[in-house]
Amino acid sequence: MNVVSRGIRNALRSPLRSGAIVIMLAISITLIVAMLVARSSVNAKIEEVKGSTANQITINPAGIRGGFGGGDPLTAEQVTTVTSTAHIGSVASTLTDQAGTDDTNLTPSLELGSFGQRMQRFETSTGDSNGPTDVIQGDGSSDSAPARPARTPRTTITGTTDANSIASDGSTLTLTSGATVDSTSSDLVALVGKTLAEKNSLSVGSTFTLYGKTFTVNGIYETGNTFQDSGIVVPLATLQTATEQPGAVTSAVATVDSSENVTATVSALKTALGDKADITSSAEQAETSVASLRSISSLATTGVVGATIAGAVIVLLTMTMIVRERRREIGVIKAIGGTTSKVITQFVTEALTLTLVSGVIGIALGIFVSGSITDGLVTSASAAPKTTQGQGPMASAGGMRGTGGPTQRFNQGLQQVTSTVTPQIFMGAAGITLLIAILGSALPAYLIARVRPAEVLRTE
Amino acid sequence: MSLEVKDLTKTYNASHGKVTALDSVSFSVSTGEFASIIGKSGSGKSTLLSLLGALDTPTKGEIHVDDINIARLSPHKQTAYRAKKIGFVFQQYNLIPNLSALENVMLALEFGGMRASERKERARELLTAVGLEPDQQLRKPAKLSGGQQQRVSIARALANKPAVILADEPTGNLDSETGKKIFDLLHDLSRTEKTTIIAVTHDLDIAGKTDRTYMLKDGKITTKRG
Repeated sequence: MNVVSRGIRNALRSPLRSGAIVIMLAISITLIVAMLVARSSVNAKIEEVKGSTANQITINPAGIRGGFGGGDPLTAEQVTTVTSTAHIGSVASTLTDQAGTDDTNLTPSLELGSFGQRMQRFETSTGDSNGPTDVIQGDGSSDSAPARPARTPRTTITGTTDANSIASDGSTLTLTSGATVDSTSSDLVALVGKTLAEKNSLSVGSTFTLYGKTFTVNGIYETGNTFQDSGIVVPLATLQTATEQPGAVTSAVATVDSSENVTATVSALKTALGDKADITSSAEQAETSVASLRSISSLATTGVVGATIAGAVIVLLTMTMIVRERRREIGVIKAIGGTTSKVITQFVTEALTLTLVSGVIGIALGIFVSGSITDGLVTSASAAPKTTQGQGPMASAGGMRGTGGPTQRFNQGLQQVTSTVTPQIFMGAAGITLLIAILGSALPAYLIARVRPAEVLRTE
Repeated sequence: MSLEVKDLTKTYNASHGKVTALDSVSFSVSTGEFASIIGKSGSGKSTLLSLLGALDTPTKGEIHVDDINIARLSPHKQTAYRAKKIGFVFQQYNLIPNLSALENVMLALEFGGMRASERKERARELLTAVGLEPDQQLRKPAKLSGGQQQRVSIARALANKPAVILADEPTGNLDSETGKKIFDLLHDLSRTEKTTIIAVTHDLDIAGKTDRTYMLKDGKITTKRG
């Protein structure tokens, strides 16, 4: 039997006491693991939100937002100015249009409703639903139209250089079938929203007519948003050509190389584009929205530190009590030739055994409860971000009418924090467990070193 | 000469001033002799034993064991000295409660540097030599009588073939019959193992049977026999 096995055996010397210590320590370590998981998950979410939106700048033509307003779309030259501005890595350009029954053979899948009727209240009906629209023509061709069209629902067409830009959560657009389109091409291909596809019995490979041209369905997408799932996505150049709006863009989202450069880039764009465009960045909104997540992260960090201290104090008090109880035994071991380092090793092993058993139980329990604790923390702290939400479609900077832009997208996903136990968390928890044992053993080791072997000769 | 003490003095600083526990004590004990130290409580017996066992360092004086002055050893060398050259027998037995009799003896062998594979056999030999049955050897101290515990303590003291065994009231907790047996055991060991034994005792009968007796009074040796 060596010093380590003696230490392990000593840990089980008093099963009742050891059991109580293990339970208390396991609770501390459970809390540490749960807080580490919460902290890591929340920090990952913050980085995700900031990474996906905080370095984005939205450029809208002055007076146009979504499908509302008036004025001129951005020109190709203006888009080039945006693209060539320093620190801008990529630009997703979008042109939106609405197709009436004379523009396409597709039946709209959205009901007109009272909102749609109000939006078209200035359009007088002649009873001829095939007449040209005065909504889609940006070049003033509606002047030649003898009559206004009937009030009918429209189908929203989005021409974009990045099909993923219409995904509601800012990630990759979900395709239920088929493949995405080459957004940089001018091919007559389209992605059709699931609702519209079902309404018109479209599937991959089907064709339909739009602006007098035959388009082929490349894929069917689903966003979970009724408005978006009733639309069509085509390459930007295709829509510009089909609607005779060469170079026109109704919204551009520029991604800056670093969130630190967003403010300077916004200033540069405002100088370059002047009053021709409205420029907004989501950095500040993102920062405000993640403030509550930051407070959860701080709370979790405090929880980790607090639980670590509590664990160390439990070990420290326990081992101090044990050392005081076994003072005579320590004196005997020293008297018969045991070195101070051997005695300390034996007691540290005892502390490590108790801590490691607690660690195994605590880590397992921590992994088990971390999900619900993270959810609880995020839910309880969600009041703050909610105040920054609900800005409505008019506040969005997306290319489609009523479509959420980046700000809405990250607000939507803010409470969807997925708690994940990573190897780093596991290693961190194991390291903290070891730290607890070391910190908790430091004072007892000092007390052991101070025990004089001569004390053993004192008669009780 | 196995043990030679010269002008040994130990003073303590107490709250009421300086206390001289031992005052210029000198004596010697030859190899294989059984010496006893008697004296009243507070006469300095335990202090003398702790100095002889390198559990403490003297304020002044020398202690030579096999020509090594242990009074001037570093703490590290003192520990090594205790492990290999000294065997302790205590009044309270002082066995490690959660180790069996066999493991208590093996512990001393571990500190003495014996290889792990040899310890168990040597511990069995020692325990058998002091009269412990094989089944008793596997018991923990709490399951042994006082006399049996003291036998284990003696086996532990003998483990590393020490130059000197220091016994602090070895029969103090035992009835007279068992005490006599333990004394006889120690006496026989001093003869057969050629081990020097110095025992502190109150029992004048026992002291009278040792080869040499020193009486301590107020930190000084006042009487010497043998």
